[in-house]
Amino acid sequence: MKSRPNPMPRLVKLAAVLAMLAAPLAAVPSENDAASLKTVDQDVQALKKQLIDLNRDLFKLEEELLYPASTQVAVFLSVDVGTFFALDSVTLKVDDKEVANYLYTDREVQALHRGGVQKLYLGNLKAGSHEIVAFFTGKGPHERDYRRGTTLKVDKAIGAKYVELRISDREASLQPEFVVRQWE
Amino acid sequence: MLAAVPALAAPPALDSLAPDFALKGIDGRNLRLSEFRGEPVVLHFWASWCGPCRESVAALDALGARTGTPVLGVNLDGNNERAAAVAGSLHIQSPTLVDARQSVARSYDVAKLPLTLLLDADGNVRAAWAGVPANLNELTPQLERLRQD
Repeated sequence: MKSRPNPMPRLVKLAAVLAMLAAPLAAVPSENDAASLKTVDQDVQALKKQLIDLNRDLFKLEEELLYPASTQVAVFLSVDVGTFFALDSVTLKVDDKEVANYLYTDREVQALHRGGVQKLYLGNLKAGSHEIVAFFTGKGPHERDYRRGTTLKVDKAIGAKYVELRISDREASLQPEFVVRQWE
Repeated sequence: MLAAVPALAAPPALDSLAPDFALKGIDGRNLRLSEFRGEPVVLHFWASWCGPCRESVAALDALGARTGTPVLGVNLDGNNERAAAVAGSLHIQSPTLVDARQSVARSYDVAKLPLTLLLDADGNVRAAWAGVPANLNELTPQLERLRQD
């Protein structure tokens, strides 16, 4: 079983660093002490790193608590080339219930084209059979409005389920292709 | 009764983070509020049937053009054509976004129109005017201070 990150040691370290920082501030020397300033700067940098690490650990902990591996389902979206389809929005339904409706800005579409993968949905599903439907809206070939749905039947077992929605090009027909893949 | 109120149904308090959203503009482009982080933003909720809103929309648009500040208008008519027609008649140049499902209005608990929010570079609400046009004599110096920060 994967151990959860415990943020407490980091909190203790943070308190210690804050105490270290507070001590010299209480007795600031009248003349500018370069060495002392350097130490304070190093402490601040260390504190900053501790905060970032703590934030990451808390985020992971929150995710594990809210979405335990036994019920977790995550849906990702990626674009492979995608010259035949300009993405505008994606609506995601799980068991006929809308769980995500995402509108893409130009910047987000560019990020996807550069290889970015978006976590479109993170939720919980009981073990058993479920239906995931994704509706893609945008501009297709020749700037025509384009809306396409794709369906995936998933059998959720014990363990997290990861689904990837990929928009790619079907060169033979000069049409976009919407592929759904399950990751184990 | 209070327990039944959803968590989001509270107006963003001063110094709190304005809820992020993405909406389609009347020009067909999608805009996301968080993509404007790094500079102050004026967020303005309005509708065509609201008399004071028209005056406010035009004044804020002029302010945006004069200062280079992004002014995002969120139209609550629920109709793209209607919003485009009104924005066109007022010669609005700044982005006009259409909240067709009223989802953004709900997350901001828009009870009175117009609602104008001044956001800082981190997306926090620094000033708000609800039910009345934004007071430019107050807004302009605050905006200048934020731009200089």
